[in-house]
Amino acid sequence: MIKLIIDNLRVEVPPGTRVIDAAEQAGIMIPRFCYHPALGAVGACRVCAVQVLEGSCRGIRMSCMIEAEEGMVISTTDEEAVAFRRQVIEWLMANHPHDCPVCDEGGQCLLQDMTVSGGHGRRRLPVKKRTHIDQHLGPLVVHEMNRCIQCYRCVRFYREYAGYTDLGVMGSAGRVYFGRRSDGVLESPFAGNLIDVCPTGVFTDRPSRFKGRYWDFERTPSVCIHCSLGCRVTVNTRYREVVRVEAAHDPQVNGWFICDRGRYGFPYASSPQRPRSARIDGRKSGVDEALDEAARRLSGIAQRHGSGSVALAASGRVCLETLGALTRFGSEKGWRGPFFRAGPRTAEALQSASKNLEEKISISLKDIEKSDFILLVGCDPVNEAPMLALSVRQARRRGAVVALADARSVQLPLDARRLALRPSQLTAALMRFAGKAVADGGAALSDRARGFLQACRDSRVDPAVDEQIDHLGLAARESRRPVVVCGTSAVAPDTPAAAANVARLLAAEGRKAGFFPVLPGANALALGLAGRTADHGAALREALEKGDVRALVVVETNLSELGFSADDPLLENLEALVVCDCLDSAAGRAARVFIPTQTVFEAGGTFVSAEARVREARPAFRGGTPVAQVSGGGHPPRTFSPDIPGADPLPAWQVLAALAREGTRVSADTLRKALPAPLCGAAPGKRLALPASAPDAFQPPEDPATAADGGLEVVVCEHIFGSEPLSRRAACLQELESAPRLGLHPGDAAALQLSAGQRVAVDCGRGVIEGEIEIVNEMARGVLLVPRLRGIDWHAAADGPLVVAVADIRSVKPNGES
Amino acid sequence: MLPENLKKELQDRIAAVDHPRELVVDVLFALQAHYGFVTDEAVEEAAGLLGMTPMEVDEVATFYTFVYRRPVGKYVIHVCDSVICWLEGGRSLQEYLSQKLSIAPGETTADGLFTLLPVCCIGYCDRAPAMLINKKVYGPLTPETIDQLLDELREAH
Ligand code: SF4
Ligand code: SF4
Ligand code: FES
Ligand code: FES
Repeated sequence: MIKLIIDNLRVEVPPGTRVIDAAEQAGIMIPRFCYHPALGAVGACRVCAVQVLEGSCRGIRMSCMIEAEEGMVISTTDEEAVAFRRQVIEWLMANHPHDCPVCDEGGQCLLQDMTVSGGHGRRRLPVKKRTHIDQHLGPLVVHEMNRCIQCYRCVRFYREYAGYTDLGVMGSAGRVYFGRRSDGVLESPFAGNLIDVCPTGVFTDRPSRFKGRYWDFERTPSVCIHCSLGCRVTVNTRYREVVRVEAAHDPQVNGWFICDRGRYGFPYASSPQRPRSARIDGRKSGVDEALDEAARRLSGIAQRHGSGSVALAASGRVCLETLGALTRFGSEKGWRGPFFRAGPRTAEALQSASKNLEEKISISLKDIEKSDFILLVGCDPVNEAPMLALSVRQARRRGAVVALADARSVQLPLDARRLALRPSQLTAALMRFAGKAVADGGAALSDRARGFLQACRDSRVDPAVDEQIDHLGLAARESRRPVVVCGTSAVAPDTPAAAANVARLLAAEGRKAGFFPVLPGANALALGLAGRTADHGAALREALEKGDVRALVVVETNLSELGFSADDPLLENLEALVVCDCLDSAAGRAARVFIPTQTVFEAGGTFVSAEARVREARPAFRGGTPVAQVSGGGHPPRTFSPDIPGADPLPAWQVLAALAREGTRVSADTLRKALPAPLCGAAPGKRLALPASAPDAFQPPEDPATAADGGLEVVVCEHIFGSEPLSRRAACLQELESAPRLGLHPGDAAALQLSAGQRVAVDCGRGVIEGEIEIVNEMARGVLLVPRLRGIDWHAAADGPLVVAVADIRSVKPNGES
Repeated sequence: MLPENLKKELQDRIAAVDHPRELVVDVLFALQAHYGFVTDEAVEEAAGLLGMTPMEVDEVATFYTFVYRRPVGKYVIHVCDSVICWLEGGRSLQEYLSQKLSIAPGETTADGLFTLLPVCCIGYCDRAPAMLINKKVYGPLTPETIDQLLDELREAH
């Protein structure tokens, strides 16, 4: 440790600490514009000047550019330093408009703070200010270049940290301009972070523009539930409405940033379409009455047909409390389920990913940044778990090798080695890779590990790619911190288990190896740990067909994820369809009894992220229809009543308690404790106590052979915008959705005599998927990509990579005829 | 579109260096010579040749005063706008030029002959007040020498 003195305080810091950070540790906040812990120091703004009284570089120095030294003495209050900083602020203000009242950054602006605290108030410069023309940068970010103070944070984030190339800095001297080459939508799905990093009002949030000042908002610590990473966010609410979501700092997970899905995904909560009252047989009713009626119907059906005739359906968006309620009341009542995922393939993939997460190989996003070899298997970071892409990029910037094994043409903001493989080839490919990545015969390994290694060495994929895989394996030999990241949607059911075993094998060799699953939904890990593999959508369908299930309770779940279409005739067979949700959905509209639930912003909730971290969202406001909707956009109503309009929705766990006739006064804690281990011990802020070793560790997959030739493996592809059920309702994100097209490899397209733009209908057994063909160069052969986007009936292929025969693909005219 | 021979010549030069991006300014000047100024298309072509993104090339192109990102006249006048020339009355000369050509700094005359661009010190302080016309230096300037020069150039045209 290094000891130094800052403003007469003794400070002790690890070697390599910058003086600006050392001071911060001691509670002294030195002004800064360009310095940002995630972006590093560039010494561009000169506002962090301090006086070095003792040390190797005496005099006025930039505290972000010098490291703490033993015996250093620093003064931040020194007259010369204060005058220097004041002067810098005066320069920076020379061209800055003095119009804070009309700037949306006002109140949350570093420049405002520095100007006021630096004491600059009167303009001395007699010349005109230089002005710029602003650009239109799309639906998320507003650009006002005149406010720029040239700190370069925006380009450093956008280009260096995030790896996108369409924003830059042009011109020189007084003319420097931060923007795009021309107007247009920012290409990065992380562009919203510009709003947080820019210390002035150049980049501000478009959807929440002029909706209030910082001090008008209630700010609540929360967690993003738009993917399985669980990034930490701050929720800003005002007038019963979420106005803005910002990144909150979490050193282990998202660092300082979040993705645009997470930042802009919230409008579903205040959508005018959001159902706010209960309905019985299409008639509006009070929630209590609907709960009573639903409970009465459910118990009637249970009496007539047995308790197992009532089934529960859930998804990765239910919180731990609701999952606890599903588990506890389900088992107390003898109800079936919860059913989740579409069928045996996706259910097994999710569960093998969840159950294989064990202490030794489980890692955080931060650990990924520090790894030196990353193998991404069947996962598309930007689209499935966006912030993962930024973590992988940080590792790549530090020299890590990044490789992708995937059926899709996965796009990353970094250069990676690619293996285009069908989902059915991934398991064998992973194993072959591991066989090469382990150098010796594995003498130090346990018998089971050695057995797995042998299976790896025997694994073959396809002569055409085996050599590439071997190269990759050899490249991984030297790595000290290898990581295997594995998805659960575009993989074979046994791929996640194989991925975990590969990480275990590398760890058993003495390396710091990790396994990181990418899961479908904010709470998917918990669902995978708590649910039964056999309870999937296909099994539910079968039970419905046989008449074994007569009543279905759908809790915060889109039935498409269970493989049902919006107007599935099977749902009509039900005697009771009870839907509890905060979204307006087809199932909700078809429900016999509908009960509105609260969103995470009202109810709060606990979620377990893909890295087994327990994440807590606190309630951000009490609920109710946004004031703007009640008042028609004008002044809040001047009539007073004791209740909040539109505040009928209840937390889903309370709904379930009422349906089980347990009364709504259950405590969230008790519900969490009803879950199986390790979920019952979930403590917010901590990681789950994972098992030291998974029961079937090193179990080689049953038949790692690849699927037979012929036919196409259908892969449903998640998109960052337009796929996830909550965020796809945000109007600003809808503008950014890609066109829905079915992807084919040029070779397959030629073989099938299909060309780009042609419409085809693909019979997936359970339904027909229709869409326009797009030729995708970097994807695997033998695969059909189906986007999970509006306009495509993807649910028919929801159960992972199923195989369709070539004969099942026929071209159709735009009006649907053959 | 770049003519094949120019493209080939640039590709050969780029192939001969270790780091293609070190030639970005040379390539921009070559394209400027060809198109008359660096067009949006030229930026993209340069990026393609150098393996850079168009944004990166534009950052360089917009940085340098002698790379023109907008159309310029036949004669580009870089009049010095720095301290030594100011001491020698450069400011009033700049105004004189503006008035004489009926254009503001940064503009081009209607006949497309002259573009007036104030720049920082051009390194001819010994000849202050000085200016460059199509890279040739003139100075010390007076209203009379300016008149004469402009007339000559007009005639030469
Ligand atoms: S736009 Fe903002 S972040 Fe970028 S340089 Fe200007 S002040 Fe800094
Ligand atoms: S990466 Fe996932 S958890 Fe993080 S902000 Fe984006 S959607 Fe939310
Ligand atoms: S913060 Fe140190 S120079 Fe900008
Ligand atoms: S100041 Fe004009 S040439 Fe140097």
